[in-house]
Amino acid sequence: MSNAQIEIQLIASLVAIACAIPGTFLVLRKMAMISDAISHSILPGIVIGFFITQDLNSPLLILLAALTGIITVILVEYIQKTGLVKEDTAIGLVFPALFSIGVILIAKNANDVHLDVDAVLLGELAFAPFDRLLIAGVDVGPKSLWIIGCILLITIGLLFAFFKELKISTFDVGLSASLGFSPTIIHYGLMTVSSVTTVGAFDAVGAILVVALMIAPAATAYLLTTNLKRMLVYAICFGVFSAMSGYWLAHWLDASIAGSITTMLGLLFLVIYLFAPNKGVIAVLYREKQQRTEVSLLTFLLHLRNHSEEEERHVNHLNEHINWQKVRSKTVLELALKNNMIVIDNDVVSLTEKGNDFTSQAIDYIITNEDSKIEHMKDDFFLFRG
Amino acid sequence: MKNNIAVKVDDLTVAYNYKPVLWDIDLEIPEGVLMAIVGPNGAGKSTLIKSILGILNPIAGSVSIYGKSYEKQRALVAYVPQKGSVDWDFPTTALDVVMMGTYGSLGWIKRPGQKEKKIALEALEKVGMLPFKNRQISQLSGGQQQRIFLARALVQDASIYFMDEPFQGVDATTEIAIINILKELRKANKTVIVVHHDLQTVPEYFDWVTFLNVKKIATGPVKDIFNDDNLTKTYGINYKVSIQE
Repeated sequence: MSNAQIEIQLIASLVAIACAIPGTFLVLRKMAMISDAISHSILPGIVIGFFITQDLNSPLLILLAALTGIITVILVEYIQKTGLVKEDTAIGLVFPALFSIGVILIAKNANDVHLDVDAVLLGELAFAPFDRLLIAGVDVGPKSLWIIGCILLITIGLLFAFFKELKISTFDVGLSASLGFSPTIIHYGLMTVSSVTTVGAFDAVGAILVVALMIAPAATAYLLTTNLKRMLVYAICFGVFSAMSGYWLAHWLDASIAGSITTMLGLLFLVIYLFAPNKGVIAVLYREKQQRTEVSLLTFLLHLRNHSEEEERHVNHLNEHINWQKVRSKTVLELALKNNMIVIDNDVVSLTEKGNDFTSQAIDYIITNEDSKIEHMKDDFFLFRG
Repeated sequence: MKNNIAVKVDDLTVAYNYKPVLWDIDLEIPEGVLMAIVGPNGAGKSTLIKSILGILNPIAGSVSIYGKSYEKQRALVAYVPQKGSVDWDFPTTALDVVMMGTYGSLGWIKRPGQKEKKIALEALEKVGMLPFKNRQISQLSGGQQQRIFLARALVQDASIYFMDEPFQGVDATTEIAIINILKELRKANKTVIVVHHDLQTVPEYFDWVTFLNVKKIATGPVKDIFNDDNLTKTYGINYKVSIQE
C-alpha cells in the first residue's frame, strides 16, 4: 500500500466513526431525514464561508456551514410547529430551498474556483491526500485528516461527557425535562455536532455519503443489539468496515470511492437485515412458523384433555378430528413427544402429567395474560414471548 | 389536619397554538394526600401535570412546590410519564431505565455508579421486577413496563409523585400492586398525584380528588366532593355513581 492509500483509508475510517456517533442518536430519535436535510442545506454556508475565507478548510467556513445546518433544523421545527405541515414535508420544503441558494451562488460567483456542485454532492476521497497541511513548512499530513480528526476528538469527548444526558433525552423527553436535563439544549447540541461533522466530512466524502455513513451503520447496529453502548460500538465497526472494504472495492472496480463505500454500507445492511439473530427477516419468519406449530400443539393437547374416549385419541383419527393435514399432525406429534407431553400406546395418544400441567398453565396465561407464572416456558416456546 | 401545602398552582393558563387547554387554574394540594385528577379526554389533565413540572410553558400563572419554584425543588419531585410517551424498542434494559431515576440527583456529566445501581435494584425488588432486570424493555408486558416506570420514580426518593395514567393497560394484579405502593407512599407522608380514568375506583384508591375540564371544577377530599353533581359538571352528562363506603 502506498502512503496515499493508507491516508485515504484513514480519512474514510475517521469520517465513518465521526458520523456513526451522532448517527446512532439520530436513528433512535427517528430523525434520520434531518441528516439528509443538514447535508444539503449547508451548501450555502460553505459557499458564503468560501467567499469570506477563500479556503475550503478554514475553521470559520466549517462554523458558518454548521450554522446553516442549525438554521435548517430551526426552520423545519418552526414550519412544523405551525401545525400546517408534517415534519417530513417541512424537511422537504426547507433543504431544497437552502441548497438551491447554494447552487445559484456557486454558478454566479465561483465557477472558476475549486468548488462545484459535483464535488459537493459526491466528494472525492481520491484527491484528499493532495491537499497537505504544512506547519512551519513541514508536511504533517492531509488537511482533511486533521479536520476530521479534530471533529472526531470533540465528538468523542462530548459523547463521554454527556452519554447519560443523550440517553435519557432520547428515551424519555418528559422525564429528561422534569429532571432538569433540558431536551432543547441536548437536541441542539446533537444538531450542532451533526452539522459540524457533516461539514467536516463533506469535503472528503460529499453530501450523499455523509448521510449514508450517519444512518446505515446505526440502522444496521440497531438490528443486532438491545444495548445502547453496544449499538454505538457496532455502528462504529460497521462504518469503519464499510469504509475500508469500500475503498478496496473502488480500487478493484476502478470506480468512485464514495460510491463504493455507500454500496458496501447497503450490502452490509442487507445481510444483517436478512440474518440478524432476533430481528432479522429469516429469524422472524422462523419464529412465526414455530408459533403456528405451538398453537397447533396447544390445540392438540387441549383436545386430548377434553376427550377421554380412545377413538378420539387414536393417531389416525387426529387428522380428521382436528382437521389438519398429515404433515402438520406429524410435526405436532413429534414436538409433543419430544417434550414428554404425550405418550403413544398402541397408536392411542394420552396426555402425560407434564402435558396436562403445560396445557393448564398455557390456557391460564392466555385467559389472564399474567406473565409471571409462565416465565420458565418462555425459553422453550416462542408462543409465550409476546 | 393537613396544614402543609405541597403544591400550589395560581392562575395557571396553558395554550397549544394559542388555544387554551387549561384556563385559570387555582389549585392547592395538601401534603400527604393520594389525589386523583379526573376529567374527560382533552380536559388538560396531563397538561396540568406537565405544566407543574416545567415540561410545558404556561402563558400565565405560577406554580410552587413547598413555596418555591419547581426549578429549585426538582429534587423533591418524581414523575411517571404516560407509558405511551416513550419508544419501548429503545435499546436498553429494565435496570437501565430504573437507573435513569437517579440521573436527577447526579446532575450533568456525572455518571451513575454502584450506589445508583444498588438503589435501582432495591426499587426493582419493591415492584416485583427483580427477575426481569436484564430484560430488554420491549420484551416486557404492559403491566411490567408500568412497574418499571414506577420503580424509576421510587429511586428518586421524592416527596411528591406525579403519575400520568399509571393504570393504563395494566392487568388487575399490577393495578393492585401499584395502588399498594402508592398507599405506602402516602403512609410515609408523601404526596401522590395521579391522572386517573376509572371513576369507579376513585373512592377506593384515593382520599383526595380534583375534577378538571379545561377549568377546575372542584378539588377536595373524596368523601366530601366525589358526587354526582361534580361528575355531571365535569363530564357534561348526567352521571350516577354509587359510592360504596
